[in-house]
Amino acid sequence: MKANGQATTVLVRRIVIAAMMVAITVLLGLLPVGGFIPFPTGVNATTLHIPAIVGGILEGWVVGGLIGLFFGLFSLIRAATPIFKDPLVAIIPRLFIGVTAYLAYAGLKPFNELLAIGVGAAVGTATNTVLVLSLAVLRGYMSIGLAGTVALTHGIPEIIVAVVITVSVVAAWRQISTRSRGSSV
Amino acid sequence: MSRLEFLRYVTIGQYLARDSIIHRLDPRFKLLAFGLIVAAITFSSTYLANALLVLMVVLLLILSKLPLAHTLRGLRPALPALALLALFQMLFPPQTFGSTRNCTVIWRWGFVGLTSCTLQLIVVSTARLVELFVLTSLLTFSTTTTELVHGTEGVLAPLQQIGFPAHELTLVVTIALRFVPTLALQMERLVKAQIARGADFGTSGRFRLIKATRRLLPLLIPLFLISLRRSEALIVAMDARGYTGGRGRTQRRRLRAGPTDYAALIAATVFCVATVWIDAASLDQALIAWLEAFIASLK
Repeated sequence: MKANGQATTVLVRRIVIAAMMVAITVLLGLLPVGGFIPFPTGVNATTLHIPAIVGGILEGWVVGGLIGLFFGLFSLIRAATPIFKDPLVAIIPRLFIGVTAYLAYAGLKPFNELLAIGVGAAVGTATNTVLVLSLAVLRGYMSIGLAGTVALTHGIPEIIVAVVITVSVVAAWRQISTRSRGSSV
Repeated sequence: MSRLEFLRYVTIGQYLARDSIIHRLDPRFKLLAFGLIVAAITFSSTYLANALLVLMVVLLLILSKLPLAHTLRGLRPALPALALLALFQMLFPPQTFGSTRNCTVIWRWGFVGLTSCTLQLIVVSTARLVELFVLTSLLTFSTTTTELVHGTEGVLAPLQQIGFPAHELTLVVTIALRFVPTLALQMERLVKAQIARGADFGTSGRFRLIKATRRLLPLLIPLFLISLRRSEALIVAMDARGYTGGRGRTQRRRLRAGPTDYAALIAATVFCVATVWIDAASLDQALIAWLEAFIASLK
């Protein structure tokens, strides 16, 4: 009975955390503030992939992949650009965000947890950028040169934002000491 | 200040009640048919197949009795993105597109050029965008959120036999949709709290990246932490009520499919196969050749 009880708690926990992260993704996608950072290039950098990373790091790759799936479906439904109206580009790359983030985190956790969280966030974001752009090239929406440029101009700022937010959130939630004094925000 | 009423932006579940055959379809069958047509759109890269697909979605839109102008209004913000795509395609022309391998140059000026592949890509991407836009709007306008959730669970139910967590997946969607408005109000509070402390949202331009990024942090980090705290409360509440997952759970409302539902699914299947066949058999090349021969014979 006890074993069963524990399994249920894990299931409920996974369902609820995944749902909450999906809710944040959807919310950030809908609101005028929070989901996008306007860039001089006219294309916005996004923060919508961060819930998938946080979910993946907190609850494992299943939850991370699941949040990514719903992120993909949501961006397919809401997209106003031809690239993300293509289900292959919108959904498939997003499945892997939380998975790779979790794998990177789990691999580095024994050495330094904060570093592991940061690297996890960076890997998750890079997964999103690289896979979306590769599929966009494969599906013929972009040339390789253009994709490379976008990867540099948007990928790097997105990685920085994701690392800062993920490290702050996970460290605060798990109460890991960051050695910084007090709140800066 | 009306920009700060965040609930205004939460526009999921924009159901428009109409008495139409599309509205009455069993959500399970509607979702399956939707998936089939989306697949057909994704894999069609020829002119002919896309022309048929555009006709198909327009026909569905008429059948659904939804207001045309209202449905198409959301397309307007997509126009600059389309123009940008066309521009980039002309600057960096693709080598191949879909099943077309030999691109011919139609027009060239310096390093800006238009090949037959570029033209096809621009036309097909525009068509695809319109098709998918109309189709997704059609689904969300003609189906309530509850129907969508029950439909998804119904479609995935057979997979439950092999251990696929269909019920749990739908529960994730239900909880997520339930919490979007709650979190929107929370976010509104966070933004207002920041504004009260002198934060500035929405006035700095595109070139002040670091500022734009920095001001997101005091919004996103609390948003995550608050929602995680809410999750813990919900986990305790669900455990306390003995939730044990989907096994052996019954439903209050059961979906029943009628002949119309089966007919709609069969029609969508036939249509999907037909468009894929048009693409695979490069029927439009044959059609173009035939048209050229016909025009030549007129001269």
